[in-house]
Amino acid sequence: MQTTAWLVLGLPLLGAITIGLLHKRLPGKTAGYLGTTLLAGSFLCAVLTLLSLQDRGEAHRQVVFVAWDYAKTVGLDAQLSILIDPLSLLMMCVVTGVSTLIHLYSIGYMVSDKGYARFFAYLNFFVFSMLLLVMAGNFLLLIVGWAFVGAASYLLISFWYRRTTATAAGIKAFVINVVGDIGLVLGTYFIFRHSHSLDFLTTFKAADAGALGHHGSADLTAGCLLLLVGACAKSAQIPLHTWLPDAMEGPTPVSSLIHAATMVTAGVYLIARMHPLFEQAPAAADTGAVIGAVTLLVAGTIGLCVTDLKRVIAYSTMSQIGYMIMGVSSGAYVAGLFHLMTHAFFKALLFMAAGSVIGATAGNQDLDRMRGFRKAMPFTFGCFVIGGLALAGIPPFSGFFSKDEILLVIGEQGGWHWALYVAGYVGAFLTAIYTWRMIFRAFFGEACPEAKELEHGHLFHAEVHTNPANGEVEDTDVGFPGAEHHIAEQTIEMKLAMGVLAILAVVGGFLQIPKVNHHLDSFLDPTFADSAIRPDSKDGLLYFGLVLGTALGLAGIAIAYRVWVVKPGTSAAVLGRFRPVHRVFVNKWYFDEAIDLVVVRPFAFLGRASRNSFERIVVNGAFVGGSTGVVKASSSAVRAIQTGLLRSYTALLLVGLTGVGLYFLLSA
Amino acid sequence: MTIHLSIMLWAPAALALAGALIPGGRTVSRALAGVGTLIALGYAITLVADYKSGGGLQYVTDRMWIRELGIHYKLGVDGLNLFLILLTSVLFTATTLWSLSSERAREGQYWLQLGLAHSFVLGSLMAQDLALFVAFFDLMLIPFFFLSLGWGGGRRDERIAAITKLVIYTLVGSLLMLTAAIALAVLSASQSGNDLSFAFTDLQKVTLTKGSQEWIFLCFAAAFLVKMPSFPFHGWMPDGYKAMPMPVLAVFSGVLSKVAAYGFLRIVVPLLPDAAVHFQTLMLLIALASVLYGSVMAFTTTNTRLILGYSSLAQLGFIVLGIFSLTEQGAQGAILQSVNHGLVVAPAFFLAGAAAVRSGGSEDLRDMGGIAFRAPVLTTIFLIVAMANLAIPGSSNFVGEFLILLGVFNAKLAIACIAFTGVALASVYTLRLFIRAMHNRVGQDVTSRDVSLGDAVVLVPLVLCILGLALYPQLALKKGEQTVKGSVAAARAMTHPPKTAAAAQNGSVLNTVKTVPAGTPVPATGGTP
Repeated sequence: MQTTAWLVLGLPLLGAITIGLLHKRLPGKTAGYLGTTLLAGSFLCAVLTLLSLQDRGEAHRQVVFVAWDYAKTVGLDAQLSILIDPLSLLMMCVVTGVSTLIHLYSIGYMVSDKGYARFFAYLNFFVFSMLLLVMAGNFLLLIVGWAFVGAASYLLISFWYRRTTATAAGIKAFVINVVGDIGLVLGTYFIFRHSHSLDFLTTFKAADAGALGHHGSADLTAGCLLLLVGACAKSAQIPLHTWLPDAMEGPTPVSSLIHAATMVTAGVYLIARMHPLFEQAPAAADTGAVIGAVTLLVAGTIGLCVTDLKRVIAYSTMSQIGYMIMGVSSGAYVAGLFHLMTHAFFKALLFMAAGSVIGATAGNQDLDRMRGFRKAMPFTFGCFVIGGLALAGIPPFSGFFSKDEILLVIGEQGGWHWALYVAGYVGAFLTAIYTWRMIFRAFFGEACPEAKELEHGHLFHAEVHTNPANGEVEDTDVGFPGAEHHIAEQTIEMKLAMGVLAILAVVGGFLQIPKVNHHLDSFLDPTFADSAIRPDSKDGLLYFGLVLGTALGLAGIAIAYRVWVVKPGTSAAVLGRFRPVHRVFVNKWYFDEAIDLVVVRPFAFLGRASRNSFERIVVNGAFVGGSTGVVKASSSAVRAIQTGLLRSYTALLLVGLTGVGLYFLLSA
Repeated sequence: MTIHLSIMLWAPAALALAGALIPGGRTVSRALAGVGTLIALGYAITLVADYKSGGGLQYVTDRMWIRELGIHYKLGVDGLNLFLILLTSVLFTATTLWSLSSERAREGQYWLQLGLAHSFVLGSLMAQDLALFVAFFDLMLIPFFFLSLGWGGGRRDERIAAITKLVIYTLVGSLLMLTAAIALAVLSASQSGNDLSFAFTDLQKVTLTKGSQEWIFLCFAAAFLVKMPSFPFHGWMPDGYKAMPMPVLAVFSGVLSKVAAYGFLRIVVPLLPDAAVHFQTLMLLIALASVLYGSVMAFTTTNTRLILGYSSLAQLGFIVLGIFSLTEQGAQGAILQSVNHGLVVAPAFFLAGAAAVRSGGSEDLRDMGGIAFRAPVLTTIFLIVAMANLAIPGSSNFVGEFLILLGVFNAKLAIACIAFTGVALASVYTLRLFIRAMHNRVGQDVTSRDVSLGDAVVLVPLVLCILGLALYPQLALKKGEQTVKGSVAAARAMTHPPKTAAAAQNGSVLNTVKTVPAGTPVPATGGTP
């Protein structure tokens, strides 16, 4: 078990290093197949680890393996240690499994890109980082994984590094993620102050024993709130979400893997992992739940109005993670993780399908320019429908079971949690509308020229390559997207990966059907056995929720169908009525502008002020002022004796030194 | 008693001198200078491998030098200077290799100055006698003066003005330090009734009265803060950095500033604990200002040298923060961070040089862009260095920063929280440098090409050092732990008397120490004998 566990972590790293070092010598698709194979091996090892963990008794399913001491000094006890328990194993399996499929997809999607090998090296490095994050056995290593996925995400967002829009999006994502890292570090300090250990299990034991302070103590609450900052930054929760839509500048497989299926769910994992602490700090947990609820609503409203295909899916990701954060912050741990898993399936699928459409339109992502792809791309359309139904929460697709379970557990707690419950269902209604708005606009109606051409078997290629974001002309060399475009309809690797995910998106929910089975519950029990949040189950609420969820989902789809298929003019009419609201939504609630005003501008101003006034007047003027005369005088003096050769100075220096040396020798 | 440290210390200077004197031209001086550097490097590696953790001062050489004044020629290695010595030799080796790749006028002189610089820096790190330390500390500036003068960039008169400014700045500091050093020894001797002695071990036995400690502290602090430099004593830095030849600048920025930080931990904090506690808040605020000021300046400047210079200003601010948290964690972090910063800033300057070569000789970010286009290896190396510079978790720089900020967090919560702004800003200015040089559209005069063999010989070993330390920072932490604990023990005992009081202090910044305004004139009456 120890070997397989380390191999899960080691194989992607090996892949990243090998592909990175050999990138010039790997012909054709070799880099892609190498990376995919290693990840498949990693997935296999994760499954083997899972099997051997299940062989153990329930009480022994939390195992720590140590490689070496990392920073063990002056009170710190950080080792290179991994924690294998049901929670980390669930994450390992999801991460490696979905990653393998997305690697497979990328083999086809990226094939004409001049940075092909580099792409797979980055992608493998990302998977390694993500695994480090979920397998870390202590806070320090968690932070390392946390930052590494941020770095990998940065590298992949600005993968087309000659695009200024991509590099700008990259630095934005990185810096906001650093804010999250800082939250994590400071939070760790607050907890470490009482636990005197960075090790997870030791800390949690101390928390259970009450050694971290009483229930709801100031330090514990501060610590958990700061961890929450980390979670919000990584999981794109308000107000640290603005990087995620911009991150869509990266190649589509990146959006699929990192900005939908895995990395952005790290915040959910973090809160679930830290549940012994969050349960002792209810104020922090409630804050998390409210942030999740607000995010899912705000993201839903923006999703209704954006016209960029990938950004619609990005906002839906934000919104779905809002559900998960809300869930794990309110004690619905298993439900939250269940949704994490099903979401990984259907969201990765949706992004892959979107990538296929983008391929068909030669890089264009604007919904306004897509119509009627249904006949031209039946397979992609099918995938979109499955993903869309799962996202909208229609039974029996996977999203239905997981989302309703979150809301059920929240509803069962009663009290003010009802507000979250209502927000969740309003969000579900919005989700159904904007998801199907996207599908109807792209696939229904009269076919656009690209779709028509494709119906005749010709894949559309733009004559001049441009950056869709700002229209700049590009070549197809490294640093810009490749010349060719690829769609699932014609590329077997892409089709295979999407097919498997489509099946998972359909059947993934069957792991845990209410009243029928609870595989996930019993699997994760060893991790969450210490949870004190165990609301009474209410059957009435369960059935009510299932019916309500279905009804709202269907209603949303029906409205979308009416507005965008039956009477295509309706949306314009609605827009006319609610123009101010629409403006807020379309401008993303002005979060970017607010952050610019509050954070970016003051610092830029400070910098300019420092350089123009302080540096010039105080440091070089007044401060040096006294000695300026001295400087001038002496520099002219120096200039006067500059006529001599350097040699003479050196000789002078040597004479002096020799004298000192002689003195030492004589006096000794 | 062993002679090995003396051999190591003088080998670079002696061989470089031989190279300059022996006729035979360029080849001979290059070969001899190279051998001298390698001897020091070999010794440094052996020292680290052989050093026994927790064994106190090792490989001691101790001879009375000037008996009447109690000055010893005493060298030794312990946890404080072990890795700084290694860093010095590694960086001088890198600079030597780098300098080999191009030809220059008056080669023999150049190597001589470089060798002297190497020896003097090593001397100031190894010195276990205050007078010896002061001597080396002042001497080490002289070769850099000549190196800038003879081989620097820009116009000659600008160079002279810049370097003169640097010399005057540091001379003022040095004079203050000299006064302080003499006073420290004399007062110690008169207070204890023993013979006058400058050896650290003898000075350690006596604790001066608080009043004397305070003004001596201020003198030392001024000298060290100028040398680092720290805000607001950095006036010499922008011009000075522009005047130096790039290979020399790498070692100057990488090592000399660390000697100042080391001076705090070797002399100021252990010998003047009361003053350290008294001025703790002042020093923390200066350091904090350095962090913020350096960061903000670094992201508004477009000259690559100055970006790295201001970035160093900020990083050294962190190191001072760690030292004056007066905690074991902070001090341990400061020592580790000194090594880390040196290891990062040297290749960073090299990369800045490489970028300038590829963008038509301009060192301005506005003339760069897209250098990554045909240079994947260069870009990867730049990326690793950039990530280490912004202290990404997983780098050894992060471990250092983690320890430093943990120390500050335990000492002064509010200052730690503000200092974290510097962490975020570091990522902004470092990535800005990386992106605007390497990424984006290809600049007008940019010709992208990958590293040559000569570049790789310098860069790859340094990057391997960064990666190695990132994987196993414990190596440096373990060997340093005992000495570092000892260095802050006295001051720590004062700030954390009983356990309960320490807990009560947390959360407030201003309740332990009354600050003295920076410009308060210091009464010097008690100091002169």
